[in-house]
Amino acid sequence: MGIIYLMLVVSLIIAIFFLISFLWAAKSGQYDDDYTPSVRILYEDEPILNDDKDGSRKV
Amino acid sequence: MEKTCFHCGDNLPTVPIHKDEKQFCCTGCSNVYSLLKDNHLGEFYNFEQQPGIKPERLRADKFNFLDISEIRKRFIQFENEKMVRVTLSLPAIHCTSCIYLLENAQKLHPAIINCQVHFAKKEATIVFDPKALKLSELATFLSRIGYEPNFGKKENKSVIDKTFLLKIGIAGFAFGSIMLWSAPEYFGIEKDNLFFRNFTSYLTLAISIPVLLYSANEYFISAFKAVRSKVLNLDVPITIGIIALYAQSLYSILKNEGPGYMDSFAGFIFFLLIGKWFQSVSYRSLSFDRDYSSYFPVAVTKLSDDLDEIIPIEKLAQNDVILIRNEEIIPCDSTLISEEAEIDYSFVTGESDPVSKIKNDLVYAGGRVIGKSIQLKVNATTDRSHLTQLWNETLNKKKEHQLVRYQDRIAQYFLVIILILSVICAGIWTFIDPHMITKVIVSILIVACPCALALSAPFTLGNTMRVFGKSGFFLKNTTVIEALGEITDIVFDKTGTLTDPNNYEISSSINYETEVEKNILATLTKNSTHPLSRAIYNSLNQFQEIQLVDFKEFKGQGIETNFDGNTYRLGNAKFCKVEKQMEAQVYFVKNETLIGQFELKSHFREGLKPMFEQLQGKDIRILSGDSEKDLKPLLQLGLKENQIHFHQTPKDKYNFVEKLKSEGKKVLMIGDGLNDTGALGIADVGIALSEDMFRFTPSSDAILDAKQLTKLPNFFMGVSFSKFVLKVCLAFSITYNIIGLSFATTGALSPIVAAVLMPISSVTVVLISTLLVQIRFRKGF
Repeated sequence: MGIIYLMLVVSLIIAIFFLISFLWAAKSGQYDDDYTPSVRILYEDEPILNDDKDGSRKV
Repeated sequence: MEKTCFHCGDNLPTVPIHKDEKQFCCTGCSNVYSLLKDNHLGEFYNFEQQPGIKPERLRADKFNFLDISEIRKRFIQFENEKMVRVTLSLPAIHCTSCIYLLENAQKLHPAIINCQVHFAKKEATIVFDPKALKLSELATFLSRIGYEPNFGKKENKSVIDKTFLLKIGIAGFAFGSIMLWSAPEYFGIEKDNLFFRNFTSYLTLAISIPVLLYSANEYFISAFKAVRSKVLNLDVPITIGIIALYAQSLYSILKNEGPGYMDSFAGFIFFLLIGKWFQSVSYRSLSFDRDYSSYFPVAVTKLSDDLDEIIPIEKLAQNDVILIRNEEIIPCDSTLISEEAEIDYSFVTGESDPVSKIKNDLVYAGGRVIGKSIQLKVNATTDRSHLTQLWNETLNKKKEHQLVRYQDRIAQYFLVIILILSVICAGIWTFIDPHMITKVIVSILIVACPCALALSAPFTLGNTMRVFGKSGFFLKNTTVIEALGEITDIVFDKTGTLTDPNNYEISSSINYETEVEKNILATLTKNSTHPLSRAIYNSLNQFQEIQLVDFKEFKGQGIETNFDGNTYRLGNAKFCKVEKQMEAQVYFVKNETLIGQFELKSHFREGLKPMFEQLQGKDIRILSGDSEKDLKPLLQLGLKENQIHFHQTPKDKYNFVEKLKSEGKKVLMIGDGLNDTGALGIADVGIALSEDMFRFTPSSDAILDAKQLTKLPNFFMGVSFSKFVLKVCLAFSITYNIIGLSFATTGALSPIVAAVLMPISSVTVVLISTLLVQIRFRKGF
């Protein structure tokens, strides 16, 4: 039976750990913008230099 | 051949600008294109079709106020010798390509070091070199590529969201943990082990305290406010339920009887907060971001003996003399020094006819100067909050009070029923077992807590708003959906609403003597909001704007200006005092000699006939400021003559809507939002039709993408469908309440019953409302 007290305390500690990491994430603004980062990662790092005359790349 | 501008996607004017085998609608668009191309950012055009924003032509000194140090300081976050960081609100951000363009701004302008976009907030954080670029120049640069910054409002919206997330996090944590610890309790394990029960109970109690004090606080505040102002909202029964739940559980813990209903308590709060969060997320995605305050002046031109200077409006002192130009807002109550002035108070009063004032008249803050620039002497100093208040008050007063939220109406019945039920049960239980009375009443209050009901409206209406938004119909808030459901009469404005302002056939004959005349014509038409002026303006190209000091607009007649001693007029034949030629409607004269004439043929939008047929259940009226010339095509659309009214001034439109309302009709007014501000404001629902989604009309309740106008019947169907969904949710939550009450009234409500019933009812209601709406409108409208 003693083990259950330990389990309770451990579960609480784990839950608190996740709570704190959530609060930290929320406070540091990680949930502010859920759109821009997903788009940003798709852009090429370097400008496309081999574009043809009209400035856009033919796909 | 493509018929739209390669950059912004607008319809092309008769004479488009060609560059690199692409076509552009204006020099602004082609300039942005060249700028991007020269900097190897042509990829911009690969992400989306015609992603660009047509840049507005700017007055060169528009952003000069940003170089005043006090104002500058307000916007700058960080500054040292090498760099300055600002966060600017750019309402025009709307797509993936916008992010691409702005985040590559450093390639477009050497002084920009870095730019980071916050899409949801429509903001960009820009770092730039202050030695090479002034803040005002940055603003001008951004405007030039189509993203004009909005300096009106400087409040941080995300603060609310963040505390919200924290509240949800804490409630969710408590909910999960308490549920876990209550598991032995549910199954009767270790029932007789008092130490173990107390251990979990007090742990539970400790965790529930922040939920009660922090996560749930806004329900208490809202309920308290409602009771104090003697109205009932849904938060009142919710608060009663929460308190009953908490008090009962606290009592049971202190009496060593186990953790009571703490799990249900934390769960309630968790689900309720998720509902609210969902609602705020659906609001945030709307284009109403640009609110009234963006129109407010930040600075004003002060005239003194030797020089004119631009000062922040807070620094105005009494008896200062200020200059207000055409289209600018009067910042404070003042006396008119100029001989006469035309002032438009439509934002304050909803009345769109300008008011004439003469010398020494008192002029109130909030009006917009039309025509000539005027000089004013300041009577009372001002600050922006005063102005904001002024506009908000007059605009909102009218509407917010008309509509009691759907859920709040139900809340009233709810409370009455609960009270009656409690009294009856108390009466019955006195005879059976008086000891049980408290338990039964507390159980009733707990079970009757309308949690599921509170979730049904935000999810159903929020989802409906979202699917509407995807189809180009943006509502100000969810009450608009309810108001739309009650509409009996629809009033359409004709010009610009039923007709397509971008689709004028313009045939003109002009003989310019000098370039100046062309420039004057361009400036005149730009400053006028009349659809015909806009059409003419769009057809012009290759001109330079000039600063017109003297500018008068005669509603329904034309516009007049004096320049270099000559009087120029643009308007109808009578106004210009020329012979009416064949079919031409608009004339341009210089000192009463004809320079040019324009014939504009408007086209009705496609698909109006089926739309009118589908809307047969409602009374349709058409109001037109024009003459009867369009009667025939309107009759062909299936309308009857008595439904169409011609020669309507904005004032007439306003009165017309007011009269319908006084007859008890629920009126929907649809207009282009420029000349119908008054009518849109007074109607039960005012929809402003918008060609580009960035224009904003303060008095409207909704913005509808002009291309989607003919889908109006579908939107009505959507509204009635969401009403149906609400009823289904109501039926479900009442069923759950009845089941719960059957336990409560018999005194058999155990924590495990509450713990099962509560999440199931909340989750089913959320699922029903979300799934029904999403599945029904999966394919759009």
